[in-house]
Amino acid sequence: MDYQSSAALAQPVRVKNKESFKHMLGVKILPRVVLVLMCLFFIFPFYQMIITSLKTSQELNAYPPTFWPHAFMWSNYPDAVKYIPFLRFTINSLILAAGVTIGAIFSNSVIAYGFARIQWPGRDTLFFVALATIFIPFPVTVVALFDIFAKIHWINTYLPLIVPAFFGSAFNIFLMRQFLMELPKEISEAARIDGANEFQTFWRVILPLMKPSIAVVAIFSGVGAWNDFLTPLLFLNSEELYPLSIGLQFFRSEHAVAYSLLMAASTLVVLPIIVLFLSFQRFFIEGVTVGSVKG
Amino acid sequence: MKKIALFASAMMMLLAVATFAAPKPVLFWTNFTPPFSDYLQKMVDTYNASQTAVQVKMVQVPGSETDVSKLMTAVRGGTGPDVYMLDRFTTAERAAAGVLTDLTPFIKKADPDMASKYLPFAWAESSFRGKTWSLPFDTDTRGLYYRSDLLKAAGIDITALDVKNGPITVDKLKEIAFKYNKTDSSGAYTQVGFIPQFNQGWHYTWGFAYGGKFADLKAGKVTPTDPGVVAGFQFMYDWSKAMGPQKVNTFLSTYNPPNNPPQQDPFITGKVAIVVTGDWQIATMAQYAPDAKYGVTYIPIPKAGDKPSTWAGGWSWTIPKGAKQTASAFDFIKWMAGPDGQKMYTQLSSHLPTIKALAEDASLFPGQHAFFQQTLSFASSRPALPVGGLFWDALTAAQNDVTDNVALPADALAKVIDKVQPQLNKFLPLQ
Amino acid sequence: MTRSTRRNLRNGLLFISPWLIGFLCLQVYPIFYSLQMSFTEYSGFGDMTNIGFQNYSNMFKDDLFWKSAYNTLYYTVLAVPIGVVVAIVLAIAMNQKVKEVPVYRAILYLPSILPVFALSLVWVVFLNPKFGLFNRLGSAIGLPTVDMLGDPAWTKFAIVLMAQLGAGGPALIFLAGLRGVPAEMLESAQIDGAGPVRRFFSITLPLITPVILYDIILGLAMGLQVFTQAYIITSGAIGGQGTAGPRNSLLFYVFYLYKTAFQYTQMGYASALAWVLFIVSVILALSVFKWAKSWVHYESE
Repeated sequence: MDYQSSAALAQPVRVKNKESFKHMLGVKILPRVVLVLMCLFFIFPFYQMIITSLKTSQELNAYPPTFWPHAFMWSNYPDAVKYIPFLRFTINSLILAAGVTIGAIFSNSVIAYGFARIQWPGRDTLFFVALATIFIPFPVTVVALFDIFAKIHWINTYLPLIVPAFFGSAFNIFLMRQFLMELPKEISEAARIDGANEFQTFWRVILPLMKPSIAVVAIFSGVGAWNDFLTPLLFLNSEELYPLSIGLQFFRSEHAVAYSLLMAASTLVVLPIIVLFLSFQRFFIEGVTVGSVKG
Repeated sequence: MKKIALFASAMMMLLAVATFAAPKPVLFWTNFTPPFSDYLQKMVDTYNASQTAVQVKMVQVPGSETDVSKLMTAVRGGTGPDVYMLDRFTTAERAAAGVLTDLTPFIKKADPDMASKYLPFAWAESSFRGKTWSLPFDTDTRGLYYRSDLLKAAGIDITALDVKNGPITVDKLKEIAFKYNKTDSSGAYTQVGFIPQFNQGWHYTWGFAYGGKFADLKAGKVTPTDPGVVAGFQFMYDWSKAMGPQKVNTFLSTYNPPNNPPQQDPFITGKVAIVVTGDWQIATMAQYAPDAKYGVTYIPIPKAGDKPSTWAGGWSWTIPKGAKQTASAFDFIKWMAGPDGQKMYTQLSSHLPTIKALAEDASLFPGQHAFFQQTLSFASSRPALPVGGLFWDALTAAQNDVTDNVALPADALAKVIDKVQPQLNKFLPLQ
Repeated sequence: MTRSTRRNLRNGLLFISPWLIGFLCLQVYPIFYSLQMSFTEYSGFGDMTNIGFQNYSNMFKDDLFWKSAYNTLYYTVLAVPIGVVVAIVLAIAMNQKVKEVPVYRAILYLPSILPVFALSLVWVVFLNPKFGLFNRLGSAIGLPTVDMLGDPAWTKFAIVLMAQLGAGGPALIFLAGLRGVPAEMLESAQIDGAGPVRRFFSITLPLITPVILYDIILGLAMGLQVFTQAYIITSGAIGGQGTAGPRNSLLFYVFYLYKTAFQYTQMGYASALAWVLFIVSVILALSVFKWAKSWVHYESE
């Protein structure tokens, strides 16, 4: 079978020589209308965050809540940054997210390959064991996990937050495995006939085809580490090491929330991820064209 | 590939730098956040400057006040702090769980007479099974706040609310409050006079107001079906019924949704004219509604001639199990919870102190604070139970059923016993 | 064992060795430790007292256990299918061939990256019975006002809705799946006269079934362990003293488990709760896999 998949050919299929009005409506206008409507709903929370971050204290008690600030309190942003050691926390978050992302990309693609592309006895049983671990509620195992890290003196370092990423996570292994199982056997067989060993097949042939799922895993792990609150809270004991996700908690106190400042800080926390996402997108767009193989 | 390897090694170095450990001062964890954490830092600085033997480092550990996930894992792993601040009413519970160091020997050595210097209820909260597990810090009490400007503008006579006329009865309060209620065309409330369960109108608030007893420590029993508690719940049941339970809920979802910004507190926006809340509301009003006119009086009494009530909470200082420098830690908490520390904190935070001498010093309580200072003399406190958190949650669930009118007070409260008593039995005897 | 089987076994184990090491070092001990705790009376500190199966038998008498189990199943049954459909719809939207689609993609993904604390705060503004957009739009088309924050009958649905804001994550997975659909198959179907809907159901959908299976399992795991949103949206953020939503309608299983472990310090009982959830989850997951055999389509098999 001829196998070729290319983003350039992805749906909806382009029809070249018929630029009729009906076609324009179906391909250019209708999708846009639907997309814009959907985006309105999905951008609402972010919009709400930004306008709240710009409101004055008096305006926050307006009834009904205003949908457009009367006066823009830009000073909420510098105030929010001064409220907590923002720069320090940002650097910490970056270190954590980068470490976890790198670990996740390497480990999960290798592990998933072993679970999906090699046929060995006991494979499926072990895979179910791996998968079963995602159903164990975190609150109970964390106590013993902490004991382990404490024994090897990893508490109050980034090691317990980053090192586990290098051992893969069941969610990501499962995700990548599903993608790998979709690739036809013929691709690997062709490589083997050319004399490649298992590792070469993985590295030269399969890994390039995994780009979209690597992008997904990278984004998920990065964002997950960026926003994770409970694990850094448990494993870190010094303010100098805190990431932003913990820093955001400083905006609430026993009886109140520093509302505008919290929203301003949250907006700042999100911006780098948006930039990262926009630049990562090309991996989805490129799709799997790079390494496509004719079997 | 090379770039990644380079980046990875750079990161490892950063990690190595991060793991570098400084020489160990006394480590103190708090989950206070600004501005209160700033006050604590000032006090720590003052303490550190006052002597050279002990130096303290404060670390903010955000988290809910009733949640010990962080403390539990750290103490088990031997990486816990030397000093930890605890919601005082959970002292018994944490002591029973084995989280805390017994402070009794330290107290005996430092000042055998220490107990007599603190307000009795606060010291009682710090004790469990005849031993002292925490040193009392601040306290707070509850009162009835009313918006005199709005009530007057609505043409309502508020003389009965004036604190000079003594506590108001619940019937009189009902008469005033219902005059303020307003609904829109769909029948939904747009403003209300008073909602018993709103803000600090907890089960304890109304249980104490009706003379209820929540536990019998001697017998080792929780007593939520005590007639006083049931009467307090009946009061909430009836009030809800008169206003319409779901209508009240929708009103609160509208004007007091979860995590409402302080600026939109219904009492500040005038959507609720009368409310039970704590002394901290004075600071909130000054910050967010400086122009609002309001008064403070006693929590309502069931019938004329009854004694007024309130209850007090607050924080305390503890030394968790596994602390490495217990002697230094005790020296520090003795200062923080002592006259110097508490005086400083009272002035910085306008919270109330638990040291008798300070609590009687009128100069520390300007303006409306004077009222709350005075309520300390008759304040109740929550029973020091090793299952305090569970009891609180069970009472809250019962209160919820009662204000929603889906259960009668006696039935809802009987369920609380079923839930809590078996757990309490594991810790008997309590004294 | 033939030589090639042996070689495959060696290679297979080599490739999964990072997971195996992590599993043996970091997961096996906590798993068995929690199993051990589940048979004890233990506060998390000090000594464990062995009490046999008492924690498990107590569970059946605990009405909050039943309540939280009911809340969680209710949530999962709603959230999983809705989540799959919304994610596929989003993925199709993200895969449209219009020039500015990168921007749409970013916007559709945006809510998934907002800090959950901030997101919860703005979400209650959206659901406000009187001023929220949700009810304003609803009343504009003549629907009655719904109090999703205060009416126990609706609160779980509010969390389901909120979870859909995070559908951008799973949608990315589906997008990656859509990108793998061979274009010439779609082209030849179009030449044969199949419309876009027909093409989707007869070609695209069968090819992305592995991703659908993944999303169902993921949804199941997240649904059965739903906790954070409920924790924050109820009373969790300030004070943390209240019921879990009106009349405990948001007391989800792991929420209750968390309270039991870290507020009531009953680690033994919490561990027993965890193991019951774990076993039920695995049974559910296995049945999903069994059921999936009839509809998941793998190219490589």
